[in-house]
Amino acid sequence: MDGQHQSMEFLLADIARGRRDALRPVYDAQASRMFGVAMAILRDREAAADAVHDAFLKIAGRAGQYDSARGPAAAWMMGIVRNAALDRARARGRELPTDDPGLGDAALEPRVLEEIAEQEDGRRLQECLDQLDAHPRGAILLAFVHGLSHPQIGERLKAPLGTVKSMIRRGLLRLRECMT
Amino acid sequence: MIPEDREERDLLAAEYVLGTLEAREAAALEEALPGDAGLRQEVDRWRRRLAPLSHLQPALDPPPALWPRIEASLAGLGPAPSRAAPRREKAGWMWRGWALGSTALAAGLAAFLWLRPAPERLTTVLLTQRDQPAWLVEAQGGALRLAALNPQPVDPSRVLQLWALPQGATAPTSLGLIPGDGSVTVTPGGLAPSPGMLIEISLEPPGGSPTGRPTGPILFIGRLTAVGGA
Repeated sequence: MDGQHQSMEFLLADIARGRRDALRPVYDAQASRMFGVAMAILRDREAAADAVHDAFLKIAGRAGQYDSARGPAAAWMMGIVRNAALDRARARGRELPTDDPGLGDAALEPRVLEEIAEQEDGRRLQECLDQLDAHPRGAILLAFVHGLSHPQIGERLKAPLGTVKSMIRRGLLRLRECMT
Repeated sequence: MIPEDREERDLLAAEYVLGTLEAREAAALEEALPGDAGLRQEVDRWRRRLAPLSHLQPALDPPPALWPRIEASLAGLGPAPSRAAPRREKAGWMWRGWALGSTALAAGLAAFLWLRPAPERLTTVLLTQRDQPAWLVEAQGGALRLAALNPQPVDPSRVLQLWALPQGATAPTSLGLIPGDGSVTVTPGGLAPSPGMLIEISLEPPGGSPTGRPTGPILFIGRLTAVGGA
């Protein structure tokens, strides 16, 4: 795992120097995870492919902005694909209520915490999420994993809009405290 | 648009990473990022805190047509901003050469390269592709000092070449060869070590890169950071 993210950093350094051929191994290693992340937000194969496409153009253009002090390269690239997917979700109007009643169920199940703990560096985050109440925890997971907006989260959790905003902010502050 | 209050700024960074900002707010933050190192750090910190959550979604194979489409879009952008010499070797080749070569670098080999005076002390550890520390690099008063931390055998038919890439530069500058016998190669030239400068060592044919750019794989890489005033 370490070797993998390290070599991603080298590939990014190559891309930053203009070696676009270094994008292909990045794609081979990351595209299926990126597509999974984009699908969870957009739930549409065509739109998710568009987001991954946008993300790779951004990675090609911004590789020079990455350095290892900013965290693992894979996480940096995942941030880019999430933003590309969120941009597309916003553009198509994510304020519309979702028509998928089961959306986000997985993110709200108790076993999701176990899955987080199994990830690299996931143990601490899992412990800290575990200390939050179910609602703020669920809201944070729905926002991150599925890109749900405040109104969508409110609808999903049957909570008023203002409450959603404030409980997410309080939850984030508690996470920050807990993780430092 | 970007608040001044520290707590509000951090929460803005957190909500940006979480994805709950409106399009307008997210765009304003992205616009501010290049000129706001503090905000960039908060965003990076939040991205790292929440990164394990991006493993919750199942990986899915993208449509086969996606890569050709990305390639076509990249071609449409025109040539890459900096053009390194074409690789003459396949990437996989070098690790074999690295592992099987027989000439060991002398333990504690140090090379000094005299460059223009630098105002502060800078340091970095060059890492291998497998994240192993390989070289300690220190720059002070214009001298760049290299010490091998974990000498490894190197392919006897190749040489190690040292490069520097100042921040904002598009192509690395050769600082000379690192010879196996510990002697010193000096490269004259007006390049001062500076914070953020990328230091790399590539594997090259005897005599060094014939093109003035790395032609072999980058074996070690690190970025100079300040460790305090001179």
